[in-house]
Order: sequence, then structure tokens, then C-alpha cells
Amino acid sequence: MNFLAPIAAVFAAAVPVVILFYLLKRKRVVRLVPSTVLWQKFLAETQASAPFQRLRKNWLLFLQILLLLLAVFALMRPYFAAKIRPAQLRVIILDSSASMQARDESPSRFEKARAEAISWVEGMAGTDQMVILQAGANTEVKQSATSEKATLRRALQSCTPSDGATRLVPALRMAESLVRDQRDAEIHLFSDGAVPDLSEFENKALPLIFHRVGKQGNNVGLIALDVRSNPEDPRQRAIYASVGNFSTNSQVVRLQVFLDERPMETRVLTIPPGETSPQVVLTPQESDGIFTVRLDAQDDLAVDNQASIVSRLPRPAKVLLVTRGNRLLERALRSVDNVELAVAAQLAEPPDHFDFVVLDSVTPAVWPKGNVLAFNVLNTNWVPSVMRVEGPPIVDWKSTHPLLRYVGFDNVQVASANVAKAPSWAVPLVDSPQASLILAGEIGRQRLIWVGFDPLESNWPLRISFPIFIANAVEWLNPANAAHGHSLIQAGDAYRLPLLQPEPSATVTYPGGAIRNLPLDATANEFVFGDTAKSGIYRVRLGTNETAFCVNLLSAPESNIRPRDELQFGAYTKVVATTLRRANLELWRTIAAIGLLVLLFEWWYYHRRTA
Amino acid sequence: MASLLSPELLRRLEQLQLLAARRAKSSAKGERRSRARGQSVEFADYRNYVAGDDFRYIDWNLYGRLDRLFLKLYEEERELPVRIFLDASESMTFGEPRKFDFARQVAAAIGYVALSGFDRVSVIPFPGMANGQSDAATRNAELAARGALRAVRGKKSSIQYFQNLGALTAAGSADLNESLRRGALEARHSGLAVVLSDFLDPAGYEAGLNALVGRGFHVDIVQILAPDELAPSVFGDLKLVDSETGGEQEVTFGKYRLKVYQQAVQNYIQRLREFCQVRGINFFSAASSTSLEDLLLKQLRKSEVWV
Repeated sequence: MNFLAPIAAVFAAAVPVVILFYLLKRKRVVRLVPSTVLWQKFLAETQASAPFQRLRKNWLLFLQILLLLLAVFALMRPYFAAKIRPAQLRVIILDSSASMQARDESPSRFEKARAEAISWVEGMAGTDQMVILQAGANTEVKQSATSEKATLRRALQSCTPSDGATRLVPALRMAESLVRDQRDAEIHLFSDGAVPDLSEFENKALPLIFHRVGKQGNNVGLIALDVRSNPEDPRQRAIYASVGNFSTNSQVVRLQVFLDERPMETRVLTIPPGETSPQVVLTPQESDGIFTVRLDAQDDLAVDNQASIVSRLPRPAKVLLVTRGNRLLERALRSVDNVELAVAAQLAEPPDHFDFVVLDSVTPAVWPKGNVLAFNVLNTNWVPSVMRVEGPPIVDWKSTHPLLRYVGFDNVQVASANVAKAPSWAVPLVDSPQASLILAGEIGRQRLIWVGFDPLESNWPLRISFPIFIANAVEWLNPANAAHGHSLIQAGDAYRLPLLQPEPSATVTYPGGAIRNLPLDATANEFVFGDTAKSGIYRVRLGTNETAFCVNLLSAPESNIRPRDELQFGAYTKVVATTLRRANLELWRTIAAIGLLVLLFEWWYYHRRTA
Repeated sequence: MASLLSPELLRRLEQLQLLAARRAKSSAKGERRSRARGQSVEFADYRNYVAGDDFRYIDWNLYGRLDRLFLKLYEEERELPVRIFLDASESMTFGEPRKFDFARQVAAAIGYVALSGFDRVSVIPFPGMANGQSDAATRNAELAARGALRAVRGKKSSIQYFQNLGALTAAGSADLNESLRRGALEARHSGLAVVLSDFLDPAGYEAGLNALVGRGFHVDIVQILAPDELAPSVFGDLKLVDSETGGEQEVTFGKYRLKVYQQAVQNYIQRLREFCQVRGINFFSAASSTSLEDLLLKQLRKSEVWV
């Protein structure tokens, strides 16, 4: 046991004063009695009469001295320091991801973690410093290093849980940089342990103390949601939803689908423990709208019981093919659904009413401003240094790019091609040993695909991969699709909307109804909005256009709210949850409480004695 | 003296007679059997005639049978001297009713029974008269009463006796031992001694009672305590002042110690009782609030002070 204020021991000097008061004559009520003989007999039987012996049996004095000593003891602020090491710097990371909103702790995991963190602040010794990081959708430094307890408390009080998935890596990275080269520094993580892969820190030997919150993992949640045209009936929309049961018993939940708050379908699902139930809901849709999927489930986490998605009806893409004649390309384009194809031999005027332009071995008189798919086009300022190569072998292609989805170049030979080093705006999609054959990327608001060879000078059009590539390209180049691709985002991710023309400002309406005006830069080519910590439907007004995007959790690791007892760092390192609960267990409150009891007892005893 | 004893009580007391275990030793004639031979109807013994004896006491029937002269002897009936030691100290003025009033009532009752039985009653109030506490007239009246109470005889004196008792006042500090010892020495004949006191003398009571018993008295004592002494009703931090000695005693007293106090009082009474038992003294303890009839007609009768 140690004392925070040992100087308070000087108050013990008051003990002799109390004894002195007892030795002094007390003011007594004088009373005439017939004889004191009986009283003397009585006193002789109960107490001794010498001054110091009189003190021996005076319980009131004992109680008062005990009370005084307890008060002095409390003033000295004793504490047990055996359980913790003294730390110069403590970095507090408060996990504010969606799973921390689980209500298995009362009132919630987040509040529990916050209260525990505050108790660590309270137990901080005088010279220690603390940093408070909130690891939510983004890592926020809520408070830089300070010893001010009030400031730290205020910083913790200002933390709010987000609806996003845990992003612990940036927080740990920041904490690691803070504690690096610091002796006796500690990182305290207050989390439920539902964290992504942390193998980055496998060999860092972080001084991490993991404070686990959470008791159970009773949760059913939506973990995936998408909406597409029904492949079998284009008039219908297909909503793909995955419902995961992360609790230990089988759960019966009601799945409801709404289109703009109109109920469309209700299903009752029985999901075995640990399983995921994929659901496909087919529903007609006449106009653009927002589908909302709700789960009626009695579980601990409410955030993942609802998800929304913006569903836009497919619009035919207007494509202009500029070619001197390429039946294979034309046929591939026509085979794509929802394409209105126009063919021209030369591009003479700006193609304003087309969604994108396909240039096939022509050099246009007017360069289009919109998206372009260019085959064997030279003399552009897109690709600075082009060289001619005969029979280039295809050695690599980027199959993860959406353009090359289901596209392979295994049996493709090219007779001759233009190859180029990828400029800064582009990513190389298909490579030969010398340079890239196909590039894709964005210049400003313009999306470009540059193919360095004429398809007719290769056997590619004869392969199945060619029409698939064309279909992928139509999808990628269609500006409507580009916008739609970003309309479903996870909480904490930024929402990006390409701007077709400059706008002075944007107005965002939050799910709760709050409205925020954002001025936009005149040169900006896209609108980026990052304040998406809360899930729900956001509406953006740009000039006269209004669009909506949906922020959802949709994260299986986050929906799995079972508290983990250890954090895994890669394959070989782990941090086990600490059992330490608070620092510097101060005892003065307990002692003061005992002192109060003694005071009450003394009061009672005094009155019992004289009343 | 209606204020001391009610007529009903007096009527019942008249039927009582003091019992004394010992033969009366007084020289005056009375109604008690004594060792002395004299004139009465109670035959006691025979003795040979010697010249000069009164012929009237010769048993002529015996002379007829034996041809010798015998004289019949009769018991002389003497009076029983009853000495009542009445504590008239300051401490007796306490209590509700006052201990002194109760003591006077008991003294009046015992005296009345004795006077009814043709015994001599002397009341000895102690301490003696204090000086200068009251005006001369009252003082003289009390002195006269005290003088008259030294020896009272005959039932007709009872009214005067009651009046004199009523004229007594209690004041000053008493020395119980000294008063009893002196009373024992002063008595020409032993007899019945009744001590009416609270027996709360710092010096104790043993020497005085021993002196009485040693002088040959048959001793009855009544300890009279105030109700407030048996169960005090004041609590708190007290400084108690002795009414007689002026001595001070500091005490902190609360209800929870009442039982301990009462036990201490009972211990004190019990020690006195045991002291008396060893010496053949009749002991009675009464609070001043006790019913007089209960003490006189039940307790004293049960203990055969009188029948």
C-alpha cells in the first residue's frame, strides 16, 4: 500500500487534542442528591476512578480517535499499486466500431469501455500522461498527451460510437509511433476484440494491454446486400441479401423488404447457429428507388438489422462506334444488353448525346470529352511514348480489375501492337515483356481504355474473352454505372460522386434529418463526402440534381460480436485480455465510508449513553 | 394526629402487640413478663419462708399437707422500653413522598402499638438540633417536642406523641454510628430498638448496629429509600452533590446503565440484609412510596415484630 498524500499524516497530531478534551473537565449538570453513597457503589462497580484508567474504558473516546484516524488515513489517500506498473505514457484506444454498440453490457459495450477508460484516467498518478485515440470509422486523436485528468475525461466523454467496421490498424500504427522510444509506455485497447487482421504488428512487440468488454455474442445481422436486374426476367429486380446468425442458438427472424418504405415482401427465416442464409427477393420496380431490408430480431446489436440500397433502373447506354468497318467489334457491342449503338466512319462533331465513344483505328477530327474506348489509336496525348512491337507475347494481365473480370488472355496472340509504359493516370491491364498492351484509367472526369492493337490483327475476337471484355468495358464506361458503383458504401468509407460539371456547393441530408452545406472547389471533378459514421440513407443535392446513397454496416466480422479473449497478431503473436480493471485502486472512499459508519455509531452510542 | 396515621389504621394497630424475644428489663411496672418476682396473677415458683415475709403469700394448702411454710412467688410484670431511632438528617428530606414523613409515620405506628401495650416509648431523632436554621419560636417548639419524646408512656399520651412527632424537622448531617452507639449507652435498660433511616452514611452502619445488639437490644430496622434513589430519572453528564457532606461525584448516566445502577443498589441492600441476619436483626426495606398498611400490617406482622 502506498500513499498519494502522506503529508496528511500530520493531521494525526489532532489525536492528543481529542484525548486532552477528554481529560478536561466536562461541563456537567449540578444536581443535589440525598447521598452519593449509592452512586459511589455504582461507580465502583462499573469503572475505575483514576484519570488515565478512566480513559481505558471510555468507548466514546475510542470511537472518536478511530474516526479521526480513519479521516487522516483517507486524507493520506492510500492505494494499492501492486497490480500495475508505473507508466510514463499510456495510449488509450477506444474502439468505437459498430459492434461496440452491442447491448449485452449495460448500457452498451461502448459505455462500459468508456467508463473503464475513465477509471484508468482517475487512477493516473500525478506525472503520468495519457493520449486518447478513438478507433472508429477513422482514427481520431481525441486528446494528445496530457496529465490533465479533466481534459482527458472530457475527451473520453466526447467519443461517440460509429456504425462502421473496426479499423484498428491505423489506430495501432499511430499508437505505436507514439510509444516508440518511450520507456514504460503502454497501449490500452478497450475493445470487444472483433478486429480485422493485425499481422502487420506481428513482430512489433507492442506494449499492448487489451481490455475486453462484452459478455456474449447474441446477434443476427445482414452481412451482404446487392440489387441487380433479374437475369431471367429483366422487368424484375433481384435483391440479394445474406443474413448471418452469430449467436449460439438457432434464430427465427422476420426479413422484411421495403421499397421507399412500401412493404414489398416478408419472409420468416430460421437460421442455424453460425450459419449464413442467402436470400434472393424478386420484386418489380417501376422507377428508381431505395430498397430497405429489415430484420426483426431480438439481438444485442441493432445496427446490422437494417440495410438500404439504392436501386436504379437500367438505362440504355448510347454508344458511338467510330470505325472503318469492324464487324466483330460491332457485333460484340450489339450483343451487350441495353446498348443503343450508332456507327460512324469519322468523328466530325463533338459526340454530346452519347454516353461514350469507341474509336477503332481512327484518329478523330474532334476529340470526345466523354469516356472513350480506343483501339489502335495513335497520335493521342494520353499515352506519351508509344513503340511498335511485332508479335508481342502476352505475359501478364490484371485479372482483379473490373474490366478483366472473367477475361483471360491464355490463347490470345497479337500480330503487331503499339505498346506503352503506363502513364500516371492509367493502370496497365495487359502486359508484354516490353510494355503494356492495354491501359485503363481516368483523366479528370474522363474514363479511358486504351488498347494498343487492332483486334483484327490478333485472334482475340475469336476468343470468348473478347465479348466479355466488351461487356465489362460498356459497364465500366457507362457514367450512370460509375455513379451507381459508389452509391452503396460501408460506414466510415468516403462517398464519391463524379461531377459532370462544376458545382458551387452541395447539400447533404443526414439519416437523422440534419442538413449540412458543403462548398465545392470549382476545379473538383468529384464530390467526396467522408462523414459517414452513421448508417442510413444520405441525400445529396448538387445544383438541381438530387441523389441518394446508402451507408450500411454489412460486415460479417463486425456482426460477429462474440467478445474475443485474445487478439491475434499474425500466426504466432497474440495478446490475451487483461484482467486488470483499474489503476491505483484508491482506498479513501472505502475508508471514508467506514468513517461515516463509525460516526453514526458514535452518535448513537453517545445518545444511548446520556439520554 | 390524623395526618400521620389514619383512624382506620389506628384502629387496626390497637389490636396489635409488640413481641420481644427477651424478658423485659425495665424497672417500671408494665404488662410484660420479666425475670423479676413481684405481684401479679402469674405463678412463678415457691421458696422457703423466712422470718419477715408477708403472710399473704404463704401457701396454706401446702402447709396443711407438709406442715412446712412455703411462700408462693409470682412473676413481676414490667414494661418494655421501646427506643425508636429516627433519622432526621438532610438526606431524609428527599423523595416523593419524603422519606422523613414516611419514617415519622412508621415511628408513629410503632409508638402507638407500644403505648397501647403499656410500654414506654422514647423517640431519639438524630442528629441533634442544628443551630440557627430556623427562628427561635420554631426552635423552642421543636426542642420541647424532642424533650417530650424522650419518654412517653400510656395510651392516653398517644395524641401528644403524634403531635410531638409532627413537630420534628429534618436537617443537618447525621452520624449514624455515633448516634446509635450513644443511644445504646444512654439506655438504662435494654429493650426493643427500632432504627428508621436510609442507612446511606458514608461511614457505614456496622458499628452503630453492633453497639445496639451488644447492649442487649432487640433491634428492628426499616431502611427507607426514595423512589428516585432506586431508579433515578435524570440522565446525562451530571455532577452530584451530597446533601449532607457536600461531597461531589461526577457521573455520566444513561438509560442503558439503569440496570447496572439498580443492581448496585440491590447489592447494597443485600449486604445490609445479610449483616442484619447474622445478628438477629429484623430488617425491612421500603421505598417512601410504599403503602404504609402493606409495611405495617403485612411485612412487620409476617416477621413477628408484632402480632
